[in-house]
Amino acid sequence: MTMAVAAGRTAINPRAAVIGYLAVSGIVLLLMMLLGLMMRLAQAQWIAVPPNFFYMVMTMHGAGMVGIAGLSSAAVMWHFVRRYVPVSTAVFLTNLVFFLIGAVLILGAGFIGGFGAAWTFLFPLPAHSGGLWSVNAAASYLFGLVFIGVGFLLLHLDIARGILSVYGGLGAALGVKQAFGLADAKDGPPPAVTASTMVLIVNILGILLGAAVLVVSLVNLYVPSFTFNALAAKNMIFFFGHVFINATIYMSVIAVYEILPVYAHRPWKTNWAFYLAWVLSTVFVLTVYTHHLLMDFAMPTWALVAGQVISWLSGLPVLLVTAFGTLTVVYRSGLRWNPAAALVFLGVAGWSIGVIPAIADGTIAVNSVMHNTQWVPGHFHIYLLLGMVAMVLGFMTYLTNPQPRSGFAWTGYWLYVAGGVIFVLAFLLAGSISVPRRYAVHIAPWLPYDRMGSIGASLAIVGVLILVARFFAGIRTAASAKDPS
Amino acid sequence: MIQDTVWGVSIVLMGALALVFVWVASAAKPAVANYGPIVDAAYRIRVWLFGLALIALIGTNYKTLGELPYVNALAQSPATAAQPVQAVAEQWAWTITPSTFKVGQTAEFHVTTKDVNHGFALYDPDFRIVAETQAMPGYTNVLRYTFSKPGTYKVLCLEYCGVAHHAMMAEIKVTDR
Repeated sequence: MTMAVAAGRTAINPRAAVIGYLAVSGIVLLLMMLLGLMMRLAQAQWIAVPPNFFYMVMTMHGAGMVGIAGLSSAAVMWHFVRRYVPVSTAVFLTNLVFFLIGAVLILGAGFIGGFGAAWTFLFPLPAHSGGLWSVNAAASYLFGLVFIGVGFLLLHLDIARGILSVYGGLGAALGVKQAFGLADAKDGPPPAVTASTMVLIVNILGILLGAAVLVVSLVNLYVPSFTFNALAAKNMIFFFGHVFINATIYMSVIAVYEILPVYAHRPWKTNWAFYLAWVLSTVFVLTVYTHHLLMDFAMPTWALVAGQVISWLSGLPVLLVTAFGTLTVVYRSGLRWNPAAALVFLGVAGWSIGVIPAIADGTIAVNSVMHNTQWVPGHFHIYLLLGMVAMVLGFMTYLTNPQPRSGFAWTGYWLYVAGGVIFVLAFLLAGSISVPRRYAVHIAPWLPYDRMGSIGASLAIVGVLILVARFFAGIRTAASAKDPS
Repeated sequence: MIQDTVWGVSIVLMGALALVFVWVASAAKPAVANYGPIVDAAYRIRVWLFGLALIALIGTNYKTLGELPYVNALAQSPATAAQPVQAVAEQWAWTITPSTFKVGQTAEFHVTTKDVNHGFALYDPDFRIVAETQAMPGYTNVLRYTFSKPGTYKVLCLEYCGVAHHAMMAEIKVTDR
């Protein structure tokens, strides 16, 4: 089924739907960055906020960022995969509606109800507020996440339906035969299809387990005698959380596969190594989550050892296939750098560089002295702020047909890069001297790092504001551009 | 300390990767007409990089997996007799008994919680973490640590547990032999 036929079946303009996703994501991203800045300023003792307010903002920042990471990267995935498989714009928009309902429930839980159990809602903390939030506030948060999860589940199921109708099986769409040399790579699926297949496999599993532990938590809120093994709940929460946030990077990297070749005038090589990397990543993302549980000595030792070994193995596809592929597409290609190409290139750099502190912390002997220090937000902000967000901003910029000499966009780009680098280095440095994460109140020796982080965050916010504003300024161009046939 | 090595190695590797990206970005132009030989050379470099990565992976994992902190309390040998310590977390305080030791003594912390998930992090007198484990409801995690320096150690909570998470601190005093 061609895209033209699919579009004709619905009155909703698919391009407008994608822009709707990106517009919501851009605004929420900036608001969540401001909440994050507030946290760093409070830790730096440059502003004073009561601890309960800090922890509520921390909860909102985490949930909001994870939410729009999913939303914006799903827009990237859907925009490109619909060139190859039939998908439903109605389901795509349903996800957005569910997201907005969930967002309202989550924001209400926090800003009205004072809910502050962290976005990870670690069982049984939502039910033990110490008097700070009501059971109903906690339930509102958990229900909000359920809504968001159901929306994404519907989206991934619809894409799966489209993929199966063209490729006949998930293995074929993933390029399994090509990965193992059993079929010619030339006959393999396009990168957007392979990536979308990997993500729907991991996210459907992750969301189902997340939904289960959310329901457990909801029942426990209203029926305290209904208890649940806390370690089992923790496994489910971290499986869901790890898979979902990693999936956002695997969705947004599609922007790199599709955009960089346009400007470099070179195709992205989908050879056996490419397909093998995606097959392995599917397995690794599902099995590595125990690296969040390395300090849970009650876990079976083999599971934690696997968490370490698979953490190390996970770096190989990222560095040796995606990063390597990016570098070989660009080198001596004649590419004239424009802000969109520079952003997706930065995104791959951020993802690759973030692998280093991630693997370090995934090593048990290191985790023993660095778990839950600021090394953790240090590494994941490299992946997300300088990786996934850069890829999404690159996609947003690409839609507005950027020119190499867009002066103001370059100002935004470099402020974002410089600010982001200062921001993440401050976290890593602090983690190396054992500053804990998730502390509302800091002591004097930690303040210089908090202040460095605050300055970095401020610069990054100005940079992102410029880039998002340019997207809105160019929204008519983005809406009217024709999809390639 | 491990943290300093990790920071040093990380910043060197991250910086090197960043430089590679910057160099390739600056070498995007001019275009090369016949790209085939360059790509072949790149694939050959990749084989070497894969080999190096594998050596680093096997070496580091072999070494560090021999230093796991997971203790089977029943496997305690008389030569390394440890002093059992009850470390109980609750919102928002620690109860640690006993809390005084001598240099050279090995403490065997039995860590648990009365309510939500907490994190037991042992900070040395220089305020750097030397050992950690989680405090889980319904479980007791066993953490062994041998005190090699005298002074005041602190226990901080390193798993977010509510509004006074940052204030959950206890002290352990270690005196000379």
